[in-house]
Amino acid sequence: MENQIKSNFEKVISKLSFTNAQKEIKEKNIDNFLKKGFPTKRLEDWKFSDLKQIISNNFEDLNFLNENNTELKKDEIIEDLEANKLIFVNGVLFNVDFKYENLEKIEIEKNADLNEEVNQNALLNLNSAFVSNYIKVTIKTGYQFKKPLVMYNYLTEELNSSGINTRLDLDLENNVELDIVNVSNKSSNKNFLNFRQKINIGQNSILKNYSLDTNQTESIKYTHKEINLSKNSHLEYFILSTGSKFLKHDINCSLNSEYGSISLNGIINLNNDQHHEIKTVINHNEENCKSYQLIKSVLNDDSKGVYQGKIFVDPKAQKTDGYQLSRALLLNESVEFNAKPELEIYADDVKCSHGSTSGNIDENSIFYLMSRGLSYSDSKKLLTNGFLNEVIEKITNENIKNFVKKTTGIEV
Amino acid sequence: MLSIENLKAKIDEKEILKGLNLNIKPGEVHAIMGPNGSGKSTLSNILSGKKGYEVNGNIKFEGENLLELETEERAHKGIFLAFQYPLEIPGVNTNTFLKTSINAIKKARGEKELDAIEFLKLIKQKSSELKFDQAILNRQLNVGFSGGEKKKNEILQMSILDPKLSILDETDSGLDIDALRIVSEGVNSLRNKNNSFLIITHYQRLLDYIKPDFVHLLKNGQIIKSGNFELAKELEKVGYENFN
Repeated sequence: MENQIKSNFEKVISKLSFTNAQKEIKEKNIDNFLKKGFPTKRLEDWKFSDLKQIISNNFEDLNFLNENNTELKKDEIIEDLEANKLIFVNGVLFNVDFKYENLEKIEIEKNADLNEEVNQNALLNLNSAFVSNYIKVTIKTGYQFKKPLVMYNYLTEELNSSGINTRLDLDLENNVELDIVNVSNKSSNKNFLNFRQKINIGQNSILKNYSLDTNQTESIKYTHKEINLSKNSHLEYFILSTGSKFLKHDINCSLNSEYGSISLNGIINLNNDQHHEIKTVINHNEENCKSYQLIKSVLNDDSKGVYQGKIFVDPKAQKTDGYQLSRALLLNESVEFNAKPELEIYADDVKCSHGSTSGNIDENSIFYLMSRGLSYSDSKKLLTNGFLNEVIEKITNENIKNFVKKTTGIEV
Repeated sequence: MLSIENLKAKIDEKEILKGLNLNIKPGEVHAIMGPNGSGKSTLSNILSGKKGYEVNGNIKFEGENLLELETEERAHKGIFLAFQYPLEIPGVNTNTFLKTSINAIKKARGEKELDAIEFLKLIKQKSSELKFDQAILNRQLNVGFSGGEKKKNEILQMSILDPKLSILDETDSGLDIDALRIVSEGVNSLRNKNNSFLIITHYQRLLDYIKPDFVHLLKNGQIIKSGNFELAKELEKVGYENFN
């Protein structure tokens, strides 16, 4: 596998026209990746999800050469939501549609340069080595979006055993408001997806990011998000993790100035042998910031769920509120759920808590519902939907909340 | 309507019901009184189909073998249990639950399901009959309800589902006098020549409001004495201890 990745890389470098400086950065990154390889469970961050093993179980080889002769069938784009769209086909930006907005307030750079910093995370090295169009979007000061922005990742039917690396940076200047929805299409082929995003939220700006993995896919997917918050800014982050075969959300947020706040909520709802992980790090670097996390998981069949959540409080970050709670419902004896809540606190005037519970469905509640005429399976469904509904209710964009309720069938 | 013959029940090897016999005809109201641990709740659980009991004997409901039916099938046939401790179901809206419930039963009976408007009309009518604050129906099912609200919600469900046989398992426990009166009025308003009730209680108090046709004393897993309302008064006077 490593040899193939190396020869793929050499082809990419020779075919595409990168500057020497960019080539050098890419070479450093591929060397770093090849030295480390795909992460294994020996790494603390990957303790519950051995990616190297998952990759070798699912792929004989992986092709990182992206042929860009791809097309998108129009009818497959989600049309249920009135929204702006950024459409990616097999990882390549295909269509930019900001029809509801003032285009003067939005800047898009389609082939940005990588900076020299070489990350320790092998998957980010892999991403930097192969990413061919690195996109930067800037929203100008004072602009409030009229409609949400859908980022749609579409994989074509032909794509198989391919590795896709995308990179998108988003910069919200001051006093900006934007709601983003991340979605992808259904696909029955196996591919490895490595999506990286870096987001800055400027002063007094509000970003709502709804990451919806609802369509059934055989993909093995890693998404890395780095989100930096400025003074008095707010992030609402929502994860619905239910479609991919394997998915790890690696979310790193930093509250870098006073009065920033984060509400991060997630649902993992799995069947068969799906395996999903939500890993969050919230860095409280300054005073008077707040973060709230609620993650609920429902596991069926032989599925596996993981939540690793860390709250870091810097010595400077007095008057911090940092809370996290994970609750899991295990519907079957062969499921596995792992939670690793962590608090690392160096300030003394803080309010922080973490909690994690996991348990079976309550048979007395099932009996109560059945005695009112519901079948066993309907009772179970009503109870799990009720369990997950609490997280969906945290969505503050009503249109998106209804969209999520509709796509999940959770209306209770 | 209901005939129970020589009903025996064990849970975890412990025998709780030891040969219970009871006949309830359409339109009758029966009360079962008895001390703690006599098997009252076990009887109501078995009638509504709770799992976990080893059951022997015969129970016929309108001629059908009740023990062969699943819990939800018993609800479809018209058996309703008002729980002693109604369960809290987080995240599930009470109205949604009520609609799901009534439509599940209507569907099983081959009747037309209620649409949103018909349902709201029914809810409005029933809650005003029972002096039940409709605002509570927009809350999560039983979550954060007071003891009285939970019990009233059981009676509301009973009145909406209009069962043939209603079993009230210690519905009076934990109720203040006003709530007790409302619950009793609810039961009385549902009484007619076709509907029957089995009321399980420790105290005569509820029975002052809902005059039962028959009163049975359940002690040590068997009905040891049956009579009319006078038996309840006598039990209240002398206590369960002195009855043998």
